[in-house]
Amino acid sequence: MTERSLKKASYAVLVVPAVLIYASIIIIPIIYTSVLSFTEWTGYGIPKFVGLTHYLNMIKDPRFLHGLRNNLLVVGISIFGQIPLGFVLAYILYRKLVKAADFFETMIFLPITISSVVVAILFRQIFSQQGLFTQLVRIVRDEPRFVFSMFEDKYLAIIPILFVILWMYTGTYMIIFIANLQRISPSVIEAAVIDGAKEGQILFRIIIPSMLGVLFTTFVFAISGSLRSFDLIFAMTGGGPANYTEVIAIYMYQTTFKYYNYGFGSAVSMAIVALSVGLISVVQRIFGRFEKKYS
Amino acid sequence: MSKDITSLKKQNLTWRIFAYTVMVFYTFLTVGPLFWLTYSAFKPHIDIVKTVFAFPKSFYVENFKQAYKLGNLGIYFINSVIYAGVATTITVFLALMCGYGFAKFEYKRLSNFFYYFFIMGLLITVHSLLIPLFVLELKLGIDDTRIGVIIPYIALGLPFMVYLAKTFVEGIPESMIEAGRIDGASYLNIFWHMIVPVSLPVVTTMLIFSFLGNWNEFVLVLTLTSDAAIRSLPVGINSFAGGRSRDFGMQMAALVMGTMPMIIFYIFFHKQIKAGFAAGSVKE
Repeated sequence: MTERSLKKASYAVLVVPAVLIYASIIIIPIIYTSVLSFTEWTGYGIPKFVGLTHYLNMIKDPRFLHGLRNNLLVVGISIFGQIPLGFVLAYILYRKLVKAADFFETMIFLPITISSVVVAILFRQIFSQQGLFTQLVRIVRDEPRFVFSMFEDKYLAIIPILFVILWMYTGTYMIIFIANLQRISPSVIEAAVIDGAKEGQILFRIIIPSMLGVLFTTFVFAISGSLRSFDLIFAMTGGGPANYTEVIAIYMYQTTFKYYNYGFGSAVSMAIVALSVGLISVVQRIFGRFEKKYS
Repeated sequence: MSKDITSLKKQNLTWRIFAYTVMVFYTFLTVGPLFWLTYSAFKPHIDIVKTVFAFPKSFYVENFKQAYKLGNLGIYFINSVIYAGVATTITVFLALMCGYGFAKFEYKRLSNFFYYFFIMGLLITVHSLLIPLFVLELKLGIDDTRIGVIIPYIALGLPFMVYLAKTFVEGIPESMIEAGRIDGASYLNIFWHMIVPVSLPVVTTMLIFSFLGNWNEFVLVLTLTSDAAIRSLPVGINSFAGGRSRDFGMQMAALVMGTMPMIIFYIFFHKQIKAGFAAGSVKE
């Protein structure tokens, strides 16, 4: 073999296995899903082309709209809850405002290792009518007959779940922020201190501008992660009671695997992908503007 | 001295009190429920309901025995080890091969094309693949088998792992590879004898990060398997959420047993897990 063909063959050996597995498990199926979303199919026989019917039915379905609302709230708590809170925690550790920073960091990051299912059942217990939260409120507010009943309200039922999501993932954002804060050159901050800059000025003029890139990354994580949120809600409430806590992924799972409506289920999963890509490009635009302003 | 540069020289008291309050409160909020879960698992059901906060009166291990037996946790644990172990090893190996190909061979256009292919995968949610995967596996006859779980795990793990591997291998000096070529080593020999040893730090991060993800995966096993003998720990534990267990003690013992392996894992590897998240977000 010549040197060139040898090199080509080596390249193929290195790259082809991964590309092949990836293409056959991810790329081809996603194309299949998008095609299936325009058909009526229950798993047997030949799919029948129905055009946009599923998409139109979907956006008219109040269950889908309620799921969408819940999904957007999950995105909201991620962007306006986890990210700022994670940043505050990271900043405190980075500026060494507390001792034993390693201890705090390790403890707050701990939920990342615990399976969503475990977290879900634990908090299902905590928020149950005989659970920890009910008992806690009874003692604190001195109301022995109090019973936690947020799940019975269609519009409030999602709140306990938002809390659990905040509980689980804030530590992850904290870790990401710490890693990136530590990359800011100390000499830049030192120079600013020598020039007499105040704490607030250092934060807003030096640190936050240099964090724009990673802030964008965390927004992307938050959006794509939120639209995927399934395991936690599935194990905690199953979307119930009466679909109050449903998100789109659960709606999709139920319609597909309970009613074997594969065509409709495919349309719903395409909506998840579209929503994720759409929201991320909006965020990209906003950040593009900020970056121009700062540079 | 250099350590003090980023800390405030004259930290005023209000700031420090604020900082301590936030940290202590948040740490308590995180660890509190887990601590409560752990000691409650040693209480009989009736005690958990009656005195929620009380510590166990005695070391009641019946919950654990029952949960282990009724929940088949032993089998689920072994399955989880198989899934996470096999899928992680193969994913990391394939990703490193791919990363070497993308970073050190001059077929840049093809490499870039494939690379962006992988990166796109980071945006795809597993739910949009469930239906075709389910149908595909049914047709191939690998539904409800271990291999039918492991292959999707590998595919879904690849995008991020390829990203980590490529970024790292790009940093390995070209001269090293050329020296190997002059000594007559083949490209695959170079991979095995140079790239792999030099990449060990990133490989460790990749292994641990990928293992964590695979260990906690839920929806694929739930959808693609129905035979209890091949299901994994998260799916097994999920059965304690439903009607089976009105017994809080047993439920909590199951959760503790399900979490213990990962807590031990975390104690040993939390530095590498942090490194994985950091590497994924740091912009070069």
